[in-house]
Amino acid sequence: MSDTFIISIVTFIYFAAAFSYLISFVFRKKPVAFIALALTVLGIIAQTSAFIIRWIHSYKLGIGHIPLANFYESVTFFSWSIIFIYLVMGVRYKNSLIGALANLFAFILLAYASLSGDMSSQIQPLVPALQSNWLTIHVISCFLGYACFAISFGTSVLYLIRQRFKKNPVNFLPEPEFLDEVTYKMISIGFVLLTLGIITGAAWADHAWGRYWGWDPKETWSLITWLIYAAFLHARLVRGWKGTKMSLLSIFGFLAVVFTYLGVNYVLSGLHSYL
Amino acid sequence: MIACTAKQIPRIIKLTLPEKNKFSDSIFGSSQIKKNVQCHKSLSDLEEKAASLLKSLVSMPVQVRKDDKSYFFSEKGRYSRMGFIFIHLSILLILGGGLIGAIWGFDGQMNIVEGKSGDTMFLYGGEGPRKLGFEVRCDKFKVDFYKTGQPKEYKSDLTILENGKKVLSKAIRVNHPLIYKGFKLCQGTYGIAGTDNFQIVVKNKKTGKETVLTLNLMEKTSLPDSKFLFAIAKFMPNYQNHGPAVLGVLIEPEKAHEMLWLFKGHNQQMKDLSFIFKDFDSRYYTGIQVSRSHGVNIVWAGCILLLVGFVLSLFFTHTKVWLRISERKDGCEVKIAASVNRNRKDFEEKLEKLVIRLQAE
Repeated sequence: MSDTFIISIVTFIYFAAAFSYLISFVFRKKPVAFIALALTVLGIIAQTSAFIIRWIHSYKLGIGHIPLANFYESVTFFSWSIIFIYLVMGVRYKNSLIGALANLFAFILLAYASLSGDMSSQIQPLVPALQSNWLTIHVISCFLGYACFAISFGTSVLYLIRQRFKKNPVNFLPEPEFLDEVTYKMISIGFVLLTLGIITGAAWADHAWGRYWGWDPKETWSLITWLIYAAFLHARLVRGWKGTKMSLLSIFGFLAVVFTYLGVNYVLSGLHSYL
Repeated sequence: MIACTAKQIPRIIKLTLPEKNKFSDSIFGSSQIKKNVQCHKSLSDLEEKAASLLKSLVSMPVQVRKDDKSYFFSEKGRYSRMGFIFIHLSILLILGGGLIGAIWGFDGQMNIVEGKSGDTMFLYGGEGPRKLGFEVRCDKFKVDFYKTGQPKEYKSDLTILENGKKVLSKAIRVNHPLIYKGFKLCQGTYGIAGTDNFQIVVKNKKTGKETVLTLNLMEKTSLPDSKFLFAIAKFMPNYQNHGPAVLGVLIEPEKAHEMLWLFKGHNQQMKDLSFIFKDFDSRYYTGIQVSRSHGVNIVWAGCILLLVGFVLSLFFTHTKVWLRISERKDGCEVKIAASVNRNRKDFEEKLEKLVIRLQAE
C-alpha cells in the first residue's frame, strides 16, 4: 500500500473520530467517546505507518531521507502532531470537545494536503541545505509546538462563543474556566516547544550558513509569534489576566503561527521556501 | 525587562531559601490551602501515619514535638523557583551575546575560482572588502545533481595557506563548514567562472586527415596542411536552446573571415573542412560564506539556561506542607496548611486523599 493511499484513509478516520466526539459531546454519551478515542488511536497508528512506509520508500528511490522535507510532508506531519499532542496531553481532560477539535484540525490539514493543487505528494530529493541531522529535531519541535497552539486556538474560539451566548439556556459548551485553563496549559507547553524549535533552527543556521540569526522572514515571524505568546504568559502570570482578553491574545498568536507557517512561503520568499 | 525581573528576584530568592517557619502555629491561619480534621486516634498512631503519608505525597518530613503537639513540615521542588531567574537571565545572555556579535562580528562572501586562491572577503551590506589574514585555495569544486536536475551536493576542496605554506586541507559541503582561526567557512553558492580547453576536431576533406585542436577563446591557430587560421570568438552555454555552441572563425590571410556557430557534437562544414565541436572544460567558482562571529557561546549558554529554566518551572512544583497534630480529649485534631506554586487543583485533590487516608482505620 502506498503511503498516500493510507493518508487518504486516515483523513476519513479523523473525520469519523471528530464526528463521534461531537456526537458524544452533544448527547453526553460516554461509550461514543470511547469509540472516538479508539478511532483517533487507529488513525495515528495508520498515519505513523504511512510515515514509515514513505521513509522506507524514499530509500528505495535512492534519495533516502526522513519525510519532513517538503510542503506535503510538513502538512501531514502537522496533522500527526495535533493528534499526538491530543493523545499525550488532551485525553486526560476527559472532554469530548477537545477530541473533536483535535481531530477536526487533523482532518482539515490532511484534506488540504490531498486536495490542494499546489502541493506535490511525490517524494523529492533532499536539497543540500536540508541534508542535516538538525532537520529532524528542528521540524519536530516546531510542529509539536504549532499543534499545541492549534488546540489552544480552538479552545479560545470556544471560549469566546461561550461568553457571547452566556445567557442562552441551551449553551452546552464546557465551563469557561475549563476552556481558559486548557488554553493556558497548551500555550505553556507550546511555548517551550517553539523555543526549542527556534533554538535548534539557530544552531542549524549557524552550522549551515555561519550565522545563528539572519532576519530571514521565517525567522522574523517565528520571533513575532514567540513574542506574542511570551506576552500571553506574562499577562497571565504577572498581571493575572483571564478570559476574553487572553482568548483574543491566543487567537492572535495562532494567526501569527499560520502566517509563519504558510504566509511566509506564499507571500514572502526566503531560505525556508521549501517548507 | 531588567527592572521587572530585578524587582522579583529578592522575592524568588527568599522563596528558594529554606523555609524559616517550619513549625509555627500562625501558618494554619494564613496559608492559601487549609484543612482541619478530627481523628479518633492516638497521637503516636497519627504521627506514624502522617509521616508516611507526607513522605509519599511530598517528601520525608521533618518533625518536632512541643508539649502535646506534634509538628511536621515537608517540602519539595524548592529549586523550581529558580526557573524564573534562569529564564529571564537567559534572555539577557542571548541578547548580550547577540549584541557582542553585532558589534564585533562580521560576515560576507568570497568567491574563489577552482585552482585559485583568495585572501579577501566581501562584507555583506556593501561594506567593502576585508582581509582574512590567511589565504584560502580552492583545489577542486564539484557539484552533483539528482536525476531530476536538482543539486544534490556541492563540495569544495579547500586548503588554508599561511604565508604561502599549507596549513590545513578540508573539503567543505553545505552543512559541513570549515572553522579556522575563528572564521567559519560555509559552502554557499557556486557558479561558472569561465570555460576553456575547447576541443575541436578538424577534418580536411581532401586529404582525409583529422586533427584535434585544443583552444582557448580568441586564440588563433593555424590549421595543419592548409593556409587557414582558426579561432573561437565566442562561447554560449545554450545557444538558441540547442545547447553549448562556439562561434568558430576561419581566417584566410588577406581575405574575408568566415564565421559559423558550431554546436556541440555536430559535424559542420566551412570551405572544404569539417568541424566537430567535441568538448570543453568549465571552471567553477565556489561561493563561500565567511563569518567571524563573537559571543556565540554566550548565546548558546543562554539557550541552554532558557531550556533548563523551562524544565524547572514547568515540570517541578514547589510544594510545602505543614501539619500539626494536637491531642484532644477523644482523639486528636489535625491541622494542615499547604502552598504550591502551580497545579493547585491537582494538588488539592491529592491532599484530600491524604486526609481521607489519615482518618481511615
